[in-house]
Amino acid sequence: MAEEKDILAAAVSKEYSEGFVTDIEQEFIPKGLNEDIIRLISAKKDEPAWLLDFRLDAFRKWRQMTPPAWGHLSRLPKIDFQDIIYYAAPKKDEERPKEIDPALQETFDKLGIPIREREVLAGVKSKVAVDAVFDSVSVSTTFRKTLAGMGIIFCSFSEAVREHPDLVRKYLATVVPVGDNFYAALNSAVFSDGSFCYIPKGVKCPMDLSSYFRINASGTGQFERTLIIADEGASVSYMEGCTAPMRDENQLHAAVVEIIVEKDADVRYSTVQNWYPGDAQGRGGILNLVTKRGLCRGENSHLSWTQVETGSAITWKYPSTVLMGDNSSSEFYSVALTGNFQQADTGTKMIHIGKNTRSRIVSKGISAGHSENSYRGLVRINPGAVNARNHSQCDSLLIGSECGAHTFPVIRNSSPSAIVEHEATTSRISEDQLFYCNQRGISPDDAVGLIVGGYAREVLSRLPMEFAVEAQKLLSVNLEGSIG
Amino acid sequence: MDRIYRIGIDEVPRHLTLNEQEHLRLTFVVMPGISADIPFEINIGREGVNLEILGLYLSPHSEQVHFKVTVRHLVGGSHSSQLFRGIVGGKARARFDGLVYVAKDAQKTEAFQENHSILLSEGAVAETHPQLEIYADDVKCSHGATCGYLNPDELFYLRSRGIPEKEARKMQMISFISPVIGHLPEDLQQQIISRL
Amino acid sequence: MKYLLEIHDLHAGIAGKEILHGINLCIPKGEIHAIMGPNGAGKSTLGAVLSGHPDYVVTSGSISFAGKDLLAMSPEERSWAGLFLSFQYPIEIPGVSITSFMKAAVNARRKAAGELELSPAQFLKLLKEKMSLVGMKGEFARREVNVGFSGGEKKRSEIFQMAMLDPVLSILDETDSGLDVDALKIVADGVNSLHSPQKSALVITHYRHLLDLVKPDIVHVLKGGRIVAEGGMELADRIEKYGFEGIDG
Repeated sequence: MAEEKDILAAAVSKEYSEGFVTDIEQEFIPKGLNEDIIRLISAKKDEPAWLLDFRLDAFRKWRQMTPPAWGHLSRLPKIDFQDIIYYAAPKKDEERPKEIDPALQETFDKLGIPIREREVLAGVKSKVAVDAVFDSVSVSTTFRKTLAGMGIIFCSFSEAVREHPDLVRKYLATVVPVGDNFYAALNSAVFSDGSFCYIPKGVKCPMDLSSYFRINASGTGQFERTLIIADEGASVSYMEGCTAPMRDENQLHAAVVEIIVEKDADVRYSTVQNWYPGDAQGRGGILNLVTKRGLCRGENSHLSWTQVETGSAITWKYPSTVLMGDNSSSEFYSVALTGNFQQADTGTKMIHIGKNTRSRIVSKGISAGHSENSYRGLVRINPGAVNARNHSQCDSLLIGSECGAHTFPVIRNSSPSAIVEHEATTSRISEDQLFYCNQRGISPDDAVGLIVGGYAREVLSRLPMEFAVEAQKLLSVNLEGSIG
Repeated sequence: MDRIYRIGIDEVPRHLTLNEQEHLRLTFVVMPGISADIPFEINIGREGVNLEILGLYLSPHSEQVHFKVTVRHLVGGSHSSQLFRGIVGGKARARFDGLVYVAKDAQKTEAFQENHSILLSEGAVAETHPQLEIYADDVKCSHGATCGYLNPDELFYLRSRGIPEKEARKMQMISFISPVIGHLPEDLQQQIISRL
Repeated sequence: MKYLLEIHDLHAGIAGKEILHGINLCIPKGEIHAIMGPNGAGKSTLGAVLSGHPDYVVTSGSISFAGKDLLAMSPEERSWAGLFLSFQYPIEIPGVSITSFMKAAVNARRKAAGELELSPAQFLKLLKEKMSLVGMKGEFARREVNVGFSGGEKKRSEIFQMAMLDPVLSILDETDSGLDVDALKIVADGVNSLHSPQKSALVITHYRHLLDLVKPDIVHVLKGGRIVAEGGMELADRIEKYGFEGIDG
């Protein structure tokens, strides 16, 4: 009979089915980063002067900064920022500039992303509006007109700059300041495209909105910017997905997401992160270094983060909420799965400023192979945050004896009427659970998928239906071969 | 082995390595009026060790107390627990940094860590960094941290039984710190309670 | 094939210690057999070895099941072939509902048999049918596998799973001396209602009471890792009266 060591052998082998490359003619700007490159990106996008100034200011700040080294990420390589192409876009057919290139259509078809409205309307799936971003540009945003009828603005970031400059200017960098951190400053200098969403007062968005990010070109990075504003009493559910080709090189993804939630508004933000994680030997994969933050500005506002992180060679990501409005609340639900040589350092910050603010953190880390998986979090209760409450639960599951699982929370309380509770546990899939499943005819691979799905259920159940199915599938695929 | 360190009076070793199969209990007591940085590292180098670390901090004025406790399980089969409890008031600041490190192959380790604080006033700050760094899978490790205030329902219950508020609050504080001081010599317990 | 299960000179143990010292045991199709024996006789070990628990090592001997070499099969292959072990202590699987658990098990088995997976509607029908068979309410299907179950609920859950997987050989490990009368009745009712001439069962217990309820064809006495006696219910009567003392091969 097999020894337990053999049964829970370390290697997580996986099939990454989104790893193909689209053969399409693309235009690139020269490699490297300097003020001229920034001017060139701005010119490509026909931007107003204020935005170029914004970028240049960010670039100057960035040059004074050094990359953060506090993450538990020993495999994060030293990045040569002069060796990256900061803008790559599929060439437009000059005779039919409005048409979507068939190669792009095919790419998104293959990824299961509906970039034409009639496909969605004809399908049985729930209605989702999609902004599809390919390398540095948005190629299609569906249901814009339908949504516009209700006053909802949903478009690419570049279009928002052209068509709604006042809104963009009013909110841009109000949640994540230009100099917030090294990668946010870099993004502010070079961001190309992304999604913009504005839900006006009192409007409940009738369909889920989503952004899909695809990296295709080699030698490039992706630097998208997303800005979501829910005005008073508005509500929206927003989903984000992403994939990239399999390559031996590392590619950088440094995004910024800002969310503003006004009085009585409600935003639910879900991510299924499936960037290419690198191969079984740890070669290649996306370096996912992103800054996501929401501001619950108004009273009774609510922001919920749900993330399923299965991809990327390196993940450095802390979707956070500043709870400014009285009675505002926020949740962070996370599943992070690492296999092979992946490393993830992810968590959240909950900053309580307003009275009666509430936050809840549920983090489920799963480490397999030779990976490292860390939860890092901050709960800060400011002196005026009367009756603030936080509860955090951070669990780690280890599969095999070659991986690491870590928990690094910080709680800082300055409010004598606040209650903050944090608990964390570490466990593994027990041999008894595996055998029980095997005895019922469930194979070891399926049993691990089943048990991990159960472990992560509290988080998965928060995802919109179609995302949940996708996420569950990803967990199983990524764990295939993690035992025996 | 039972060792008690009254901070400000007793010398605290910065580093200990445990290579004997032993049961060791360490208690740190920080009395009101004491400000201190207390860095303390302990390595467990063999199986069969049972380590218990207890800590108490009473900081009602403008004290600054900072515990930095590191417990490293370098081999498996040992047990460690940490329990730190404190009451912070006035303009005092208390901080607990606790790391539990479990080395690769230190299987069958059991390590637990808890930090609980009560905040008595505006201006006081309690900060906690309970950390787990784990490289072995067949282990039982957990930590918990809370920060809150004396339970008003409990207080009401005591008062409804005729106990004056001041005394009732003191009883609540005794109850809160009792898991940490319960095993201390009677005279030291009395000394601590008299300072609440 | 004369016997459904045929154990020949089986030596097995755990952690380098031999517990079974040459077991010979045959169960024909359609019969219910019982194994009785004092504590530490190796009763649970036999159940674990038959189902392929990875901690247990077979050092010599052979087991054939439905004409196949059982020892060459993985635990799930044994399950697919129709062997079911009702666990003495069913394992908790937090977050996984009974429904998902059984769906995975039923479909894995169908897949192994080259059959199509059941559609959600078909599966639901089967689930409901078997639940009513063992007297369970709808909410049970949504509960997490064995999490927070009482002793009786755990037994009922095991019998329900047995009904769902429709095994040809059910092995019921009921060695726990803490089982109450109601729990034993659940097990016995399950065995009786699921029994047919095509199926066999092996009931492991040291209770006469359970055997009164299931009425085995043959009673084997396991002592010191060996089968020391075989007979009918009269053997169980004797053990009830005089204990295991004096029963030797």
